[in-house]
This record gives sequence, structure tokens and C-alpha cells, in this order.
Amino acid sequence: CIFFACAGVSAKSVAQITLSEQNASLEKIVAKIKKQSGFLFWYESGLLRKAAPITVKLKNASISEIMDACLKNQPLTYSIVDQTVVITEAAVRHPAAPKQTDIRGKVVDDQGAPLIGATVRVKNSTRVAITDANGSFQLSAVSPADVLVVSYTGYLALEVPAGNGQALTIALKQDAASLSDIVVVGYGTKRKAELTGSVAVIDMKSKEQQTLTNASQALYGASGLWVNQSGAKPGNDGTTIRIRGVNTLSNANPLVLLDGVEYSLSEIDPNNIETITVLKDASAAIYGSKSSNGVILITSKTGKKGTPQVEYRSNFAIQQATYLPDVVTDPIQYMEMRNQAEINSGKLPTGVSYTPAQIAEYRSGLGTDNDVYPASDWFDIVFRNGFVQQHNLRASGGGDAVTYTMAGGYMDQKGLFIANDDAKRYSFDLKVDAQLSPRLKVGGSLVGNVRNFNEVGYGTQTVLSVVMRGLPIMSDYKQGELYGSSWLATPGRGNYENPRMEVEQGLTRRNIQDFLTRVTVQYKLPINITYDANLGYRKRDTWSKDYIPLMRTINNKTGEIRNFNFGTPPRVKEWDGNEAYYTLSHRLSWQAKIAAHHSLSAMVGQDYWYYDLKNFQGYKQGFFDNTLTDLNASTSQLNAQVTGSSSIEKLASFYSRLAYDFKDKYLLEATFRYDGSSRFAPGNQWSFFPSFLAGWRIDKEDFFGEGKAISLLKLRASYGKLGNQAVALYSYLNNVSTSGFQYSFGGVETGGAAVTSLSDRNIRWETTASYNIGLDMAAFSGKLDLSADVFKKRTSGILRPIGIPSQVGGLNGPVTNIGVVDNTGYEVSAGYRDQFGNVSVGINASASYVRNKVVDLRDEQIISGRFITKEGYPIQSYYLLQDDGYYQSQDEINNGVNYGTTSKLRPGYIKYVNQNGDKVINGDDRIITGSSIPKYNYSFGTMTEYKGFRLETQFQGVLGVDVYPTANLAVPFNNGAGVTKEWATDAWTESNRNAGLPLLTTFTDASENFQNSTFWLQNASYLRLKNIQLSYKLPQRLIDFARIKRVELYLSGQNLLTFSRFKSWDPELTITRNDLYEYPTMKSFTLGLNANF
Amino acid sequence: CQNLETLPEDRYAQETFWRSANAAYGGLVGCYSTLISRGLYGEDVVLLEEATSPNAYNYNNVDGWSNIALGTHNASNTNAIAARWRAAYTMIGRCNALIEGIDGNVELTPDAIVKMKAEARFLRALSYHVLTIYFNDVPLITATPDLDQVTAPRKPRAQVVDFILGELDAIAAILPPAYTVATEKGRATSGAAQALKARILLFEASPLFTGTGDAARWRRAADAAKAVMDLNRYSLFPNYRALFSLANEYNAESIFDIQFQGPNVGSSFDVTLRQYNTCAPVRELIEAYRMKDGQPRSSSTVTDPGNFYSNMDPRFYQTVVYPGATFMGATVSNTRFVNTGYTFKKYSVYDAGAASTAETSLGERQSGINYMLFRYADVLLMYAEAKNELNELTPDVWNATIRAIRQRAGFTDAAALTYPAGAGKAEFTDIIRYERRIEFAGEGFYYNDIRRWKTAETVLNATIRKYDNTPIIVRKFEPARNYLWPVPQIELERNPNLTQNPGGY
Repeated sequence: CIFFACAGVSAKSVAQITLSEQNASLEKIVAKIKKQSGFLFWYESGLLRKAAPITVKLKNASISEIMDACLKNQPLTYSIVDQTVVITEAAVRHPAAPKQTDIRGKVVDDQGAPLIGATVRVKNSTRVAITDANGSFQLSAVSPADVLVVSYTGYLALEVPAGNGQALTIALKQDAASLSDIVVVGYGTKRKAELTGSVAVIDMKSKEQQTLTNASQALYGASGLWVNQSGAKPGNDGTTIRIRGVNTLSNANPLVLLDGVEYSLSEIDPNNIETITVLKDASAAIYGSKSSNGVILITSKTGKKGTPQVEYRSNFAIQQATYLPDVVTDPIQYMEMRNQAEINSGKLPTGVSYTPAQIAEYRSGLGTDNDVYPASDWFDIVFRNGFVQQHNLRASGGGDAVTYTMAGGYMDQKGLFIANDDAKRYSFDLKVDAQLSPRLKVGGSLVGNVRNFNEVGYGTQTVLSVVMRGLPIMSDYKQGELYGSSWLATPGRGNYENPRMEVEQGLTRRNIQDFLTRVTVQYKLPINITYDANLGYRKRDTWSKDYIPLMRTINNKTGEIRNFNFGTPPRVKEWDGNEAYYTLSHRLSWQAKIAAHHSLSAMVGQDYWYYDLKNFQGYKQGFFDNTLTDLNASTSQLNAQVTGSSSIEKLASFYSRLAYDFKDKYLLEATFRYDGSSRFAPGNQWSFFPSFLAGWRIDKEDFFGEGKAISLLKLRASYGKLGNQAVALYSYLNNVSTSGFQYSFGGVETGGAAVTSLSDRNIRWETTASYNIGLDMAAFSGKLDLSADVFKKRTSGILRPIGIPSQVGGLNGPVTNIGVVDNTGYEVSAGYRDQFGNVSVGINASASYVRNKVVDLRDEQIISGRFITKEGYPIQSYYLLQDDGYYQSQDEINNGVNYGTTSKLRPGYIKYVNQNGDKVINGDDRIITGSSIPKYNYSFGTMTEYKGFRLETQFQGVLGVDVYPTANLAVPFNNGAGVTKEWATDAWTESNRNAGLPLLTTFTDASENFQNSTFWLQNASYLRLKNIQLSYKLPQRLIDFARIKRVELYLSGQNLLTFSRFKSWDPELTITRNDLYEYPTMKSFTLGLNANF
Repeated sequence: CQNLETLPEDRYAQETFWRSANAAYGGLVGCYSTLISRGLYGEDVVLLEEATSPNAYNYNNVDGWSNIALGTHNASNTNAIAARWRAAYTMIGRCNALIEGIDGNVELTPDAIVKMKAEARFLRALSYHVLTIYFNDVPLITATPDLDQVTAPRKPRAQVVDFILGELDAIAAILPPAYTVATEKGRATSGAAQALKARILLFEASPLFTGTGDAARWRRAADAAKAVMDLNRYSLFPNYRALFSLANEYNAESIFDIQFQGPNVGSSFDVTLRQYNTCAPVRELIEAYRMKDGQPRSSSTVTDPGNFYSNMDPRFYQTVVYPGATFMGATVSNTRFVNTGYTFKKYSVYDAGAASTAETSLGERQSGINYMLFRYADVLLMYAEAKNELNELTPDVWNATIRAIRQRAGFTDAAALTYPAGAGKAEFTDIIRYERRIEFAGEGFYYNDIRRWKTAETVLNATIRKYDNTPIIVRKFEPARNYLWPVPQIELERNPNLTQNPGGY
């Protein structure tokens, strides 16, 4: 049973109501009473239509006189509780009423916090109670068979049996689609129903049962966003976020603000976040010069008035790699394949790497001595299961004058590598707000995040490349600091390695501290003007240490010991970056309602932002042994190095917002921002960014009528100019660098200097014109909501380095404003939720499409490796030869137009299409194809709830994106690496001419097969079960005695299933990357607990 | 509005950079430092270029160098080619910037400015020489780098060569004959300018650019080489092995060195030769060594069928490490150097004796022995070659060049030292080409020599073998295509006015 509530502005204590109506509907009369009296009305949808037309004439009557008159001889009755008039059907008397009792209870939200002012009504009666400041209510003379209907604005109504008089605790769930929700927007808040921009809101409550180790992971599934996590290295597992495509050739990251101050998603504990708002269209324009990639607003938790709340959340998860390559680990098979590949690549059978004698020896030695004749599976050896635990404890509360919240968080993560792979996070969140006087409110906050993580000595990427070139013939022998290697020499491996050694030896430490301190002041001036000031100081400190000890391997057959990393070790490098961000933001805002229907608001503000970066680095080598790692422990000054630098950046801004709405029906808004940045030369520093937004609440129009199924139908439109200043500092200056140009004369090293790039003094902001039209709809009392947007973003004056030929001094080209790029697309999202008896269900889905096109590049093209950026095509399209299957015969080679030297080619090699019909296949035969930006992002999910159990699933995927990895294991025998099993089963042979792979060759020696061609371009679309969770809320009666408000246990899994045609590695990798050396994406199995006291 | 301007604290602005003497000198060092980039002579590039010749083998195709050896290189698959083009123009750009910018200096004397400019002009000429011998016609740019140079087309090689020859004549009169202050050693001298001129003229006279028999060109080449000899400034260092050692840098044979200094600005020679074996001498080179009587293995009377490595040209033992030899204190096994069984020891700190820990831990860019880009033996052989082409290889010329070089190498047998009376031009050509191949084995000169002589189509169309004669791979060289390198694809893309070399690249 659903209720429709109409809230008046303010109820007059003694209402004097005047009515004069002829055959009027009850709806009309109720509306008039409401307007005159300010009384609240509660009634079932459609109920008023049961009343016959009413004729009434009363002057200065009381509410009860009016109601009595109107409902006389009607099948309806009413009651008045406080300021609420409840209209119900006239009760039917039951002949034998059961025994009645008084009942008491409490209404809380799903966190256990009391809901003040909730309505508790006895179904089919007029008796209503409203909850007090503690959320408590009391109803007298209720029969056990009665049903209580509990409702609260913004929450889903609930029916509960009245029971036998035991105290009830009734928990309401928030209505996700509630139109009265407050949404954080640029420099302010808005009711959801009033939004005119395209905004995605992530309520962190809905992410409570997931293992989020980085706040940016919460953005998966948000409509219009491409979230890509390439590598889940503990402590360093942020995602790349692209909002509505890629606008630019430079920095495409959105601006992230925490409580109004520029911040990083990696530096905040997800538990400390209340909501995340993503501004996708011109609504971001109020952030001017940094807004063109979209803006992400993080709102941290604040204290709320009421009894103290204590909240504890914790979870434990086991983590595993989602994908690992399937490598040939049989040493004999490996050696034979390598030999065959070399022969197929042009080597003579006598010139191959492993001689028949060596293979025979190995074959007979297998199983006798694992150190000399190993069969190593290096992924097995160097990886283990990861483990993560997180805890967060928060207390909050407050009274009329002061509210507070304080929280501490801890995360401890052990990664997949067997050593040197872990992370810890300590987070703090302290906030106090005080109403000093009716006009003056002040607040202070400190949000802190300490992120310490360790990484393998040579760094994740290098060590992964080492693991991916681990061979089955390499021994996993280990004795002290001495590691086994191979007695067999392999081309491409000048150095005898052991992947385990490079995982275990050496270390990389990163300690990152980020603290945001804020002071806010709010002062209410006369005539409804409010002054807000926000002073923010963010301090970021990044300390790092890389230590590489002397590593040695042993040839287990000969006993020969070899220095692996000859040259400089043991060596240590420490560096520290010291960053300070100062933000001063203050503004005046005013709002007024004129003549009942006209709402006006205005805001002017000014921001100043100052960023100061200092860093230095020390490097030393020459330790006695591997035990000490501090700089001071080094015994030598040989090659000791110290480097450092500093920079300052400033941004000054003026902004304003004007908004007007008529009858909540026509919503208009304009924002203006004027930004000045130190990134440009004087004269080009200032720029203006306006925006205009409009909304039309169609459902509020008279022709829509009342009591309809559709509660919201809104059309939105926006236009704005957004900026991007993402150009390196001092790009407009021609700089002479002094580091890296040393030369020696007479045996003495001398420092040099050189210009390394040209510059363009006239560079200016990139500007994006953003157009958006959207439609929001809510229907069936909020059960269904739907939102759709179409957009176009045109970015002009794109800043990019021009590629210039080397003949211009071998210099890098200048960064300059060139080019226009369009992103056009659409987004749709919908949700439906309903309740059938004890079962509630919900589904949600969203999809977005974006098409990227370079409109103007001054007729130039940027070719960079296998990518091209060219007019008429998406940014960073692939530029490749087109493959044409394989050569099936020598005749075909002899008579064909070929790539490379004809004599080198043989059947089974890849054939390319001669696009221009000339006599050679070369760079001129490339075609533009593929996409490095996904065309579609989509997600969908389900929710089912039965009593205390709740099962949720969320799927997420991308479509229309291609990757092109090469290097170890992506290609066969790359420079001494091994090979994946598919090359054993699916390579071209005389008898397998339609194989998936060409003739087995080495990558290094058969470049003809590994030209940048469409053959190797792979579709990286995927669909993944991002999250599945089963939670169970302990029955209230079990925990009440312990004075616990809520206990919820859950099991959840992240990334458990992935569907993709790309099999070499997790498809969620850095798309434009050309190798697979990224930390594996992980799947997690989580057990968690959320409790409120 | 607030003052928003901020200025960098870690770099200079170009406009004011040249004002101080120290900065101007730093700018000059920046020009020199290009010499040790991977595009020119840095790290192991000299060795990789050696492995592109019939002397040695590189198995792992570093920077695509093996593509060149196998004839499979094209405009886009070989970084070595793109890097050379880029490094040469990087040096040219820095030199051009110095030549124009240093006039803004307020501290240096006019003489010093002229001298520093002359050094930059030398380096610029060297870069253009490098460009012309690999790419033939190239854009000729002589002004400070600027966007208006983006579209400059290739200029005929003759024009470029004329320009640099004029430059070299001019600066030979400005540059000092030598530097006596220790920290100036290694800077360009007048002798270096003259030696470069001789090398340019040798290339211009050679079959690669001139076909056969342009006597006037050979005359100019001979004169230029003779001019260096007539300086009486240079002489052969008495010990061939010791010539390539740290102790004997800046000896009388060295005309212009690439300066290496460990541990920051060194080469990668030691680690490459000791460990990586990415420049592995092949059996063909070993067989090419004549015997100690100066005669080929097949016709010599001192050949010992039972002991392959005995009685060879003394330079063999001073250049190559072979199975059975003593190296770094141990006897070399068949598999010590896996790719062919051999390695070079020229330009490395290692020899028969055991190496110290410091020596065995030398890594990439940490080796300090200077690489002689021009040494006097080269000038002598240039002279001999030009004179022979002019049919003027007289006993005097022989004694001053080939005999002197062989004597220094350790030949004592008269049959190797005496002027081969009655030998014809062709026979002398064989001797001179042998002499260049062996004298400079492991020094990265041979690839250019076989192109210059246009013999690459024969000697690079061959199977190469390991120490035990097992064939490794068959190399190809297509004369219509491979004598010149392709202009890198990326340059063609960025400057549509550039044209590609012939041969279907």
C-alpha cells in the first residue's frame, strides 16, 4: 500500500479556513485547505476519488468543521494528528474485535539511526503516530492482527504486523530514486527533482558490502563513465576514469574535489565517503579551467544531530589473479618448440639454440635432479593468494549547537607476489561543526590518509616482464641469497636470471601521506544572504625508497656463480616529494521566493588556488653487503647523486550562478566562471567559461492531472563552455635543460646543457563546448525510474605536442593549440524496484555510447607507433597493415607483392594486403582501424531481499575496444622469453592451414610476421560479474538485548566471472599499452561485517 | 588581478642562457654529449654495427641491427636507423644553436668564442658526414632549430659534402693542434678536422658514390690523407693490444676519440663482450686472418693443420678470444661464448689475466676506455688505398703504411713486411682490404668499408658459422636496395617533402 504525501509550507496553529465550492472534487478541496491552512494530508492514492462531489460554503471555519462538512455522508473518515489530516475509508466494524494492547517502538534507517518525524499508521484506521527525536512512537489499543504502515519521506514505506505488544524496531530503507534527495553540485546542493544538469550520484551506502581498496573502484557502473582498472597492485590500485569519452590528447582525467578541495580518489578511505557526484555536462562548467573532462565531487561523512552513533565495518578477503597466461612449462617441449621456431624464422637447423645432445641429456635427467633439470612454472612459483582486511570505526552525533564525527580506518593487504608486495592504509576523519549564534556557523575538519606500500625491487612492471620470460629450464633452486638459473644458454638472455630472486631480493617502498585540513565559516547576512568561506590546506608527502642488493645466480650443473646485476649494486635511491595545495574559496549566496511562484537565487564567489611542489632525490651505491639499506650506510662517494626541483602553480577564479524557477515547473540556471592560470604566458592567462541549463517539469503541468502514475517527467537541456589547462608547467617557455647532457674530457665528467623541445608562447586553454539534452522520469510511486541523455562535446584548441621531423635539431615539437575533437553519444539508465509480500526485488541497468571523432587537425596526422590521430577518425585509432591470412604455398610467395625480403618468407607466414597497389608492402599500406576507447559501457544488476537476506549482483562491461599487446608471452619467444600453449596447438602447419596463429617463429627473428597488422589486434570487450553479494541482517530481537542497533554479515565476490575473447591477460588492461606487464586484476572472496551501536 | 606568473627554478630560458662563460661551455658539452647517444657511438652501438658486417653476429636483433645484417630492414622496423638520423640531427641542432647563440656571451673573449664555434662546426660536419654515408641526400640545416625547418627537403649529397668540406678547411685553421690541459683533452683539433676531411673524400672517391676510376677524386682523397701524415703530429702506438686500453688514452695514434668515463658516461663494451656476447666474431672472420707470414691460411707455409689457432696474424691473439685461449684467468670453453664460441677483447679491460671484482662488475654505460673514431692507422690505410687506386702504391708508400702497421702489430716475418714487388693493383687491393678488415676488426668500421667498396652484395650474401663450423643463419644483401639505408618512416610522415631512397623500402 502506497501513500502520496503533500507537505504544506507551514501549518498555522489555529487555521481559519474559508471555502465556497459547488460540486467540487475532494482533491480540489483538499488542495485549497492545504494552501490556506498549511496542514499536511495523508491518504491512499486514488482514495479521494471515492468521494462524491461536494458543495460547501463556510467562512473562517476550523479544520475539523471543514472536514466534518466535506466528509459528511461520504464513505470516508478522517483524523487529525499534530498538523496532519489523515483521510481513510470509513472503518468497517468487526463483530468480535481481538484483544487490544498498547504498542511502542522505534523507527530507524538501515544504519540503525533514528528517523525523526516518521509516520506510523494502523492500516485501515485513522490512528497515526509520529516518531519523536529518538525515533520512538507509541500507539494505544492496537490489535495483534493489525498491520502498521510506516513511512518517511525519502524512504520506502513498510508494513509490519503489530504483534503482541513487544517493542518494535522498524528499519526503513532509503528510496534510491527518491526525488527529494539532496544532491551535491558545484558550490552547493540541489534537490534531485530540480537538477538541470546530467549528474551521476553514487551513494556509498550501496557499496558497503564490497571490497573497495580504492575509492575510485566505487565508480564502476555509473552511467556514462568508463572506469578501467589496469592492475590491482596493493596500495596502487586506482582506476582510470573517462567521462563521456576522451576530449583531449593530453590529460583526460576528471577533476576530483573532496569537500570542495582538489584531491585524489586514491587518497581517501572509501568508508569515509558519504556520496560521490559526477558532473558530466555543462553543470561542470562552474569549475572552469579544469572541468572539461568532467568533475567528481566527493562528500565525506558529517556528524548528524541525535544520539551518539557508533558504526563498525570490517571485511576480510582472499584475492586471486583473474587471468594468468597458459605457458608451456614442459622443458623438452619448450626447447623443441624454440628450436623449431628458430628454424622457421630462417636459422639453419644446425644453428638453433638447443642441440640434440642437450635435449637428450635433459630428457634423461628429468626427474633425477630438479635443480639441474627443472620443469618450472614461474607463475606458480612467484604468486600466492592475496589477502586483505579492512576495518573502520566511526562515532558521530551532536546536539543543536554542535555536531561531530570521527573515524579511523585500517587496511592491510598482502598482494599476489610471494614477497615484497603489501600495502597498509591508515585513515582518519575528524569533523566538528558548531552553530555559534543563529547567524554564525563554523566548522573544522581533518581528513587524512596514510598509504604505505611495498613493491618488488625492480618495480612491478619489470619483474612481471621477468616472470613472463621465466623459462621451464630455469631452476627454482635457492640457497641463502644464491638462486638457481639455467646451464643452457638461450639467445636473448645475456643475463642468467631467476624470477623468484627478483621478487624476493631488493625492495621498493612508498609512503604517501595526504592530509586535508579545512576550516569553514557560514554567516547569515540580512535579506537572506549567506556568506560561505572554505579554507583548505592539503599537504601531500611522498617518500620512496628503491634498494637493489647484489644478486647472484648459480649454474647448478657447473657450480659457477654469476653476478646477476653487475655494475652498481648494492644501491639505494631515496626521494621525497613535498606538495602543498592551498585553497581559499568564498562566496555569497542569496535566495528568495517572490509572489509564491517565482524562486530566485544568486551566488557569486571567488577561489584562489596555489600549488607548491618540491622534491629531491639521493642516490648512493657501494655497500659492504646486502644488509643495510640507508643512504648513510653506503661506504662510497662514487657516483653519489643528489637531484631536486621545485615548481609553483597558481589559479585564480571568479564565478557566479543565477537560478530561477517558476512554480517548480520551469527551471533555469546560468553559471559564469573567469579563470586565470599560471600555466600560460602573461596575456593568455585568463579565460571565461559560461554555462546555461534549463529544466521543464512536464509532470507539473495542469494537463498532466493529479494522481497519475508518473510522478516525475522532466526535460533537461544544457550548454556550457569548459576548459582544460592540462599542459606541462612552463610549456610556453623555451627551456634549456641541464641534466642528462654530461660528457667527459680528459677523464673528467663535465655537465652539459641543451634545449630538448621547441615551445609555443601563445598556447591557451583547451575549450570544450558541451551540449546535453536529457529526460528524467519516475513512475509508479517511485518504483520505476528512468533517465536518458544525448550529448555532444566539441573540444577545440586541443593542446598537443606537434610531431616535428628530427631535422629540426632532433627536438620534440612544441605543445600547441591545434585540433578539434567531437564526442557524441547517449546514456540511458533505468531502475525498477518492487515488493511482493516479504520479498523485495530490484533491477537496474545502464548503457552509454560515445563516438569519438577528430574533426580538425589542420590536415595533419599524428602517427605514434601503431596509433594514428587523423581527421575523421577517433583519437588514437590503430594504424596497421591489413592481414590477408597466411601464405599457403611457396608459389604464392614467389608471385606475390610481399612485405620484406621474399627469400625470407615461407608458407605459414602472414600475408598483408597491398592497399595502394604498388610494388611493395610498406607503411603506405596501413589502414585506420580499431578503437582504443570503448564505444559502449554498460552495467546491470539485480537485488532480491527476503526477510533479513539480501542478494545483489552487479555486472559491468565494455564493448568496442581493441588492444594490441606485444612483448613477452603476447608473442612467441620474445627476446629469450617462453611461449604460451596455444602456439603448440594452434599454429599454422601443412596439415593445419586454417590455424589461429601463423607458423611458429620467434618474435625477434621473424619480424615479417609481427609487423603492426590487424592480425594481432584483439578485441578487448568484456562483460564481468563485478560484484555479487549475499548479506544477512541479524533479526532485531537477537541483538536488541545487547543494545546493538544493527548487525549485518555478508559474503561477497568481486570479478568472479569474466567473459571476453581476449585471453592473454585480464581484458581490463591499459588499452594503449604494448605489453602485458601489469599487475594482475584480482578476484576477491569477501566475508564482512557491518554493525551499528 | 593577482600576479599569476611563475618562473621555473630548474632550467634556463633559452634567450638568456648563453650569457655566462660557464653556460656557454655547458652548451658545447651538450653538443659533444650527443656522440655517446645510442644513435651514434654510445653504449654498444659500435659493436652492433660490427655485427652487421661479415665479421660478427648479433643474435638478439637489438634495435633491429640484425635486420640490417639479414637484409630485412625497412623504413620502420629498425630503430638503429631512425636513431642514427635523429641523433645526427640532434647534434646538428645543438651545434647550430651554439654557433648562433654564443655571440650573446658577455664573458668569453672573441677568440674563445670563435674556437668554441669551430668545435661545434666540427661536430656538425661529422654529423653531416654520418648522414650522407648512410642516407645519401639529406636536408641541410645550418641555423638554430626553428619550425620553419620542418619542411626542408633533402639536398643532393654533393651540396652537403661541399658545405662540410668548406667548413673543415675553415676550422682546421682555427682549431688548436692539441690540448695540453688535461680537462680539455678529447675536444676537436685541427688534425681531427683534417682526418674527417680525408675520410669524407675517401667515401666520395669510393665505388659506393662514384663507381670506379675517378682519378681526380682519389687524388683529393690521397692528398687529404697525406696532409694529416705531413702534420708529423701522429704516429702508430707501438703496442697493438695496449693501444685500446685505459692506460694509453690520448696516445700519439689517437686523432679524435669518443670520450667514455665510468660510471656515468661510459660505454657498454666490457659487459657486452664479457657477458652478453651480442657482438660475437664468426668463423668467417677467424678464417680471414692470415698467417704470421702475411699469407692466407690456404697458401701459407706456416699453417699447422693440427692446431687451427697457431701461427696466425699476431693481431688475432690481440683481438679475439677463442676456445682454448686463456681469458680472464681461465681457459675458454666451447660454450663460454655461446653464440659463436668467440668474443672480442679489443677495447675491453679483460685479457688473459684474472679480472678484479671491479672489472667483472662493469655494467652498461660503465666502461671508461675511449673509442678512437679516427686513429692514425686509419689515415695511413686511407692513403694506401687512394694511392693504389691511382696505381701509385710504391715501396715508399707501402713502407709508410702497410709495413708500419704490420710491424707495429707484431709481424716479424719478412714475407709479411716486404713490399710485394710485382704485385698488381688487384693484388694490392686485396691486401689493403684485408688490412682494413683485420686492423679494425671489432671497431665497427667494416660495415661501411664493404658498402664503400660495394662488396657487401658478395660478402653479406653468405651463411655465417660458429667456431665448429655449424652454420647459424643465411644473410641476404640486395644491391639495389641495401647499399643505402631507408629514410626513417617517421621522418617521411612528419615532413612530406622528404623522399625515400630507392629499392622499395
